[in-house]
Amino acid sequence: MGIQKITRMALLTAIALTIFVAEAQLPAPVPIYGVKLGLANIVTVWAVFLLGPLEAAMILLARVLLGSLVTGQMMALLYSLGGGALCLCAMIPLSRVLTEKQMWACSVMGAVCHNIGQILVAIAITRTPALAVYLPVLLVSGVITGLFTGLCAQALTGRLRKLLRL
Amino acid sequence: MRSTRSWVAVTAAVLALAALAAVLVRVLAPAGTVAEITVDGQVVESIDLSRVTEGYSFTVEGQWGSNTVEVEPGRIRVSAADCPDQVCVRQGWVSDSASPIVCLPHRLVIQLTGGESGVDAVS
Repeated sequence: MGIQKITRMALLTAIALTIFVAEAQLPAPVPIYGVKLGLANIVTVWAVFLLGPLEAAMILLARVLLGSLVTGQMMALLYSLGGGALCLCAMIPLSRVLTEKQMWACSVMGAVCHNIGQILVAIAITRTPALAVYLPVLLVSGVITGLFTGLCAQALTGRLRKLLRL
Repeated sequence: MRSTRSWVAVTAAVLALAALAAVLVRVLAPAGTVAEITVDGQVVESIDLSRVTEGYSFTVEGQWGSNTVEVEPGRIRVSAADCPDQVCVRQGWVSDSASPIVCLPHRLVIQLTGGESGVDAVS
């Protein structure tokens, strides 16, 4: 892995972490775990498309680990990892078949899978299958926020390309 | 590019189905009269809310932290907690089974069960 590549990934991780920490300062709009904008995923979606699956996974992992450390919510780490893993499982194959103009669809499916993953981890940790009642609400929020972050990623493509000299 | 339209359709379908399910969960949720408080999947407290005549509160001390639970006739809430996110406190009063109170950092869940089942009544 060349220096240029490492630098690019570090830069994207820093951008994602900054967005993540900034968003964590805002109070959650609804008191339901998992309902949030997830703006840091703009970077993840973008990286899956323009850098590659491995690079995107590494950026996501670094952001999730550092994000939990910085915000001091180590419990959230498990949910983020579960959600993030499932999200990548959906986005990586999709990024192969979709064009850059269809990034939003990849982001929506990624967000939906992220929410499914989170709720599975929550069910496993609390050992309460009844938490599945929150799945529909999380899916509605996932589609909307995923669409938003995906469109943001699409809109930023040109600028990020210039910034990273891709 | 051929599939942009079908992705719009898939997205709309997921959104519509999830919204429908969210509404159904709310509408069909049994009222629930027995509040079961679990920590880490273990029942620590079970309260029949229909028999509560006077409000009171108590503290659930778990391995990961404590939550103060307040009970009133027919409803329950977490009034205070030492968790970082305070999601359980912000959830407020709950009186049906559609929205269990969750405190993920403390692995605490308050789930209402029992009573008339709305699902049975419909089906």
